[in-house]
Amino acid sequence: MRFAALLSVLTAFGAEPDRVFTETIRPSLEKNCYGCHGVGQVLANLDLRTREGLLKGGMKGPAVTLGNAASSLLYRAITGAGVLQMPPGGEDKKLPPEVIAAIKDWINAGAPWAVAQAETKWDSKPEDLWAFQPLRKPQAPAGRSAIDGFVNAKLAGKGLKAAPAADKRTLIRRVTFDLTGLPPTPDEIDSFLKDPRADAYARLVDRLLASPRYGERWGRHWLDVVRYADTNGYSNDFERPNAWRYRDYVIRSFNDDKPYDRFVREQIAGDEIDAKNPESIIATGFLRAGPWEHTGMSVEAVTRQMFLDDVTNAVGVTFLGLTVGCAKCHDHKFDPIPTKEYYQLQSIFATTEFARPELPFLPRENTADLASGKSYTNRLITETKNSQARYDDSVRALTMKKHGVSRVEDLPKGVLAAAIREKEGISPQEFEEFKLHQKHMQLYRESVDRYEPKAFAVSSGPADGFTDGGQNLRYAARKDYKIPEVHILPGGNIQSPGDKVGPGLLSLAARYSGFPLPEIPDTIAGRRAALANWIADARNPLTARVMVNRIWQYHFGRGLAADSNNFGKMGRKPSHAELIDWLASSFVESGWSVKSMHRLILLSDVYQRSSSLTSAAAKEKDPGNLLLSYFPPQRMSAEMLRDSVLAVAGELSLESGGPGVFPQINEDVARQPRHAMGSLQPAYHESPLKRERNRRTVYTFQQRSLVDPMVDVFNGPNLDVSCENRESSTVPTQAFSLFNGQFAHDMALAFAARLERETKDKRVQIRRAFELAYGRDPSSDVGPETRALADLMLVLLNSNEFVYVY
Amino acid sequence: MQTRRNRLITATPSRREFVFGGGMGLGSIALSALFAEEQARAGVLSPKAQHIPAKAKNCIFLLMEGGPSHIDTFDPKPKLAEVHMTRFQKERSKFAAAMNTGERYYVRSPFQFQRAGKMGIEINSLYREFASVVDDVCFYRGLQAESVNHPTALYHLNTGNQFGGDPAVGAWTAYGLGTVNQNLPAFVVLPDVAYPQGGAANWSNGFLPPHYQGTPLRPEGTPILDMTPPPGVTVERQRANLDLLSKLNAAHGAKHKDHEDLAARMESYELAFRMQAEMPGVVDLSKESPKTLEMYGIGGKDRDMDALGRRCLLARKLVQSGVRFVQLIVMGWDSHDYIEKAHGARIQASDRPIAALIKDLKRTGLLDETLVVWSGEFGRSPDNGIRRGGQAWGRDHNAGAMATWLAGGGVKAGTIVGATDDVGGSAVESIHPIKDFHVTMLRLLGLDDNKLRYLHAGRQKQLSQTGGAVIRELLA
Repeated sequence: MRFAALLSVLTAFGAEPDRVFTETIRPSLEKNCYGCHGVGQVLANLDLRTREGLLKGGMKGPAVTLGNAASSLLYRAITGAGVLQMPPGGEDKKLPPEVIAAIKDWINAGAPWAVAQAETKWDSKPEDLWAFQPLRKPQAPAGRSAIDGFVNAKLAGKGLKAAPAADKRTLIRRVTFDLTGLPPTPDEIDSFLKDPRADAYARLVDRLLASPRYGERWGRHWLDVVRYADTNGYSNDFERPNAWRYRDYVIRSFNDDKPYDRFVREQIAGDEIDAKNPESIIATGFLRAGPWEHTGMSVEAVTRQMFLDDVTNAVGVTFLGLTVGCAKCHDHKFDPIPTKEYYQLQSIFATTEFARPELPFLPRENTADLASGKSYTNRLITETKNSQARYDDSVRALTMKKHGVSRVEDLPKGVLAAAIREKEGISPQEFEEFKLHQKHMQLYRESVDRYEPKAFAVSSGPADGFTDGGQNLRYAARKDYKIPEVHILPGGNIQSPGDKVGPGLLSLAARYSGFPLPEIPDTIAGRRAALANWIADARNPLTARVMVNRIWQYHFGRGLAADSNNFGKMGRKPSHAELIDWLASSFVESGWSVKSMHRLILLSDVYQRSSSLTSAAAKEKDPGNLLLSYFPPQRMSAEMLRDSVLAVAGELSLESGGPGVFPQINEDVARQPRHAMGSLQPAYHESPLKRERNRRTVYTFQQRSLVDPMVDVFNGPNLDVSCENRESSTVPTQAFSLFNGQFAHDMALAFAARLERETKDKRVQIRRAFELAYGRDPSSDVGPETRALADLMLVLLNSNEFVYVY
Repeated sequence: MQTRRNRLITATPSRREFVFGGGMGLGSIALSALFAEEQARAGVLSPKAQHIPAKAKNCIFLLMEGGPSHIDTFDPKPKLAEVHMTRFQKERSKFAAAMNTGERYYVRSPFQFQRAGKMGIEINSLYREFASVVDDVCFYRGLQAESVNHPTALYHLNTGNQFGGDPAVGAWTAYGLGTVNQNLPAFVVLPDVAYPQGGAANWSNGFLPPHYQGTPLRPEGTPILDMTPPPGVTVERQRANLDLLSKLNAAHGAKHKDHEDLAARMESYELAFRMQAEMPGVVDLSKESPKTLEMYGIGGKDRDMDALGRRCLLARKLVQSGVRFVQLIVMGWDSHDYIEKAHGARIQASDRPIAALIKDLKRTGLLDETLVVWSGEFGRSPDNGIRRGGQAWGRDHNAGAMATWLAGGGVKAGTIVGATDDVGGSAVESIHPIKDFHVTMLRLLGLDDNKLRYLHAGRQKQLSQTGGAVIRELLA
């Protein structure tokens, strides 16, 4: 059935033998024959992986007689004409007639073995190529929902029983954390428990999906994958002053349930596809999300190459689940991606240049604090600048003294200017201070742009009038622009370029899916648009699969395919391959609606199961709970933890959007001197207002060289590399942070103060504390203790019941 | 910057309130149950066997941040005196940084050199103390970096990847060998006054579990972040809180018997407070003899020497206490100008402490089982542009040649391996890339880079990225 589809595609191309071999016969041999004759074992000494093997044959002699299918052992075996019937297993296993016909023609044509590199180099097993097969919606086994059908069928196959449904109290806590990253309030719990309607839970899901908090939680997942940060990283770690608009764009996109295919197109080529739409321009910040720096000590060609490598790999990993970066130095070791194709893909970005266009703020963007922020930063600049004048004063005085004059006018021409430029005569200590302030001024001047209506974006070919602050990069004027050539770089070395290549796509995606590769124009503009359209096409075998797997992963803590950034050979194989295909097909059918995927998943029994193990057998037969007989408990992520602590303490500020805020962080870290090229970074200053400091963590300024240590110890994302999934390992420094840290103590106090405000009755206070933190009554957990309320609050915030979601 | 130089590791125990003294942990927690759990799970940090028998079991990595000049430290170039201030025009190559193009001058070393050790190895004459340990050291002149940019080169030297985000050598070592003292981190970093360029990514666990992350010991206050509660929280109060926490967790655990993470998290509180109890003793230098302190240059007039001396002594104590990998960072080698002064000060401040470290390791019998590595992220150029009026020359970055040395278990001591050309522009003998250096470090620690792998995102990853060669000449 699959091959029939392939053949129809082939017919459209004209079925020359090479192509038929590559696209039909070889995959069929791989799928049906290699298991015994090539990969792992070579039964009857017959190895079908190479033409030589075919001609040499096995114990029964050569497998083919060139030019004569009828007398070829292979053909006789697959048709059942001889003694042998292959593949074994009767009529059911027989190859489809189209394939048999294709093999006949091919043998008669001399069995040409297409020498495309991709065909000879990799001995991918069929199961390595699951993600490249055409996407088709499989029939779901019987079940309350399709998801339940697929999952329960696997459980039944192992003789495992599903856990019973979770109680309503557990469920509202689970789904509220899952969709919003925050705990349900006692009132929300209460009204859900009291809602007798049959669809009470579906209504709850709808309410949560409609909450602006949803985008803040799910946008954060996406920011992990694209390794969002507000700074460039490396030596100076300059700010990307307008990057926050991309962060808010992501949050808005999730809240709006923007169709995913559009979300993809905007981020890869918004400027080319829909330049009139400001969101499309902001979206292209994705392409520049990686760490990047250029200084006087960088080699321009190297800096550029690092960007090209970064963006090529980012697109592969993010949207296609392919580690294309592995093909940078040599052909991909595991997946059929030749180096040549890596550089063809890279060539799509050859004309992608940095831009910071003027782009008026949208009504939905939070601009409330821009004016005050700008004036504050400008004051920093002015004051720093003024304080620098004293060094010039010293130099002036010293120079006059040196030349024995008392008036500046009496100095020889040019002497003073040179002396000031070189800061002649001042002490090394003063010189260091001068450099320190210069560095700070440079950093502030980069930062002040965060208040301007500009976008952190790209353009095809150089953007007119673009300068990039302190980064010393020269850009060709648009009229002088020539499209840079892209060469294959053997070993990834830019000093020894190989063949020149033009823009192109990955052949593996077409080879197995039958979705033909479109042409990529080699003009200045339009390359990325073509790439984006190819990725966002329903026929691209990877795009929908990769995204539904990510969605599943964030609901259950683990993807159906566990390596959500790697759908190639080395990625762990899906636990439920058909379910991925069913979800991906449904995703496309829904118009790429992420929220409909949430509904499908959240309304399944599988999601609503209790998190208790059903039997000892479950642990034995399925130790990792891959088959989902119960709901896997999860530790809060760093952001959930910080946000939830703020929430239960009554301190959380729910303001959305705008430039990054600076929360309270460990004071030692805030004051820790940090190197910036040639000098030091300014100390960390928290935002002056509580409503800013206590914003949700997603809105905190993401500085590559300074991560909030509390976020860091609770397995916060790596800001330099795509984070496909959060770890939740337990290390003792977490205990230090949450049990000893100032933030935790402050929040425990605030929590206690909140309770004191709400009621004076000690017993009611404690009950309320448990309701807020655990979503339940204290029952008999705490007796009539005399301890300070704040201590109890600190303990609650540290307890397992608080930090795990069931 | 001078004004911001804090004294390092000066805090005395009396300044701090360590809640749990004498190694006492959470007395009332059911320790035996936790212990059983711990045994069953054979913790991620338990000591593991070497892949290949090797003498060295620990490593002290002395990272000279900024790129020390090989020409002015351990690789003298008399030829430069002949061509001093000879001008030449460097063409604007597509592959040169702006810094390295335009009008250039060869510059001689402003330093005198002395012959030291049995072989009469030439080193900068300012190395008065270090000269006496040269016979324990293997100088390597063949190493080449791949980037002339600090952060990328630092990431490369520290993690094997010029992009940040991969595990540091120390993290790989901790992953490979585990650690003998479960109450201390396996991988400790002793940063200079400021964090290096690129920040904490230089000691990242990358994709390895966070247990292998480098823990920076803080120069002031509590050595580990938040290791002690805020001021005002008494011993009794914290103990009561911990008891209540364990009670709540026990009640919760009873309802979720199958959820194994719960016990692990309870155990981590226990470990945290064992660490809280043990760490102060390790970082306390007050019990060291005046002779030892003096040997390291602690308490002298040179504040930089004092600070570095404290960190070197601490490095020895940490290794002695069972820390597997210590990375000690010395900033300030980036001398584009005033190299005589800048490098001179660095050499003088580091001479005594580093020599003392080698002697002290030897004295305590630790040198044999400890690998000591000294390296910058790259070397420096034989030539310079004009800086500050042409009088105060320095050197720019050079990835083609650099200075490194090794000492300790398994190292071929008292020798020079490799060579650079007659002006020090490029290595010409025994040339190896950083990844081979990494593979060699691992080999000296009994680890095989090709076996020390970790499956991440579907790929078996290793420190050398794609495999490398052991530099045999460096091995005894």
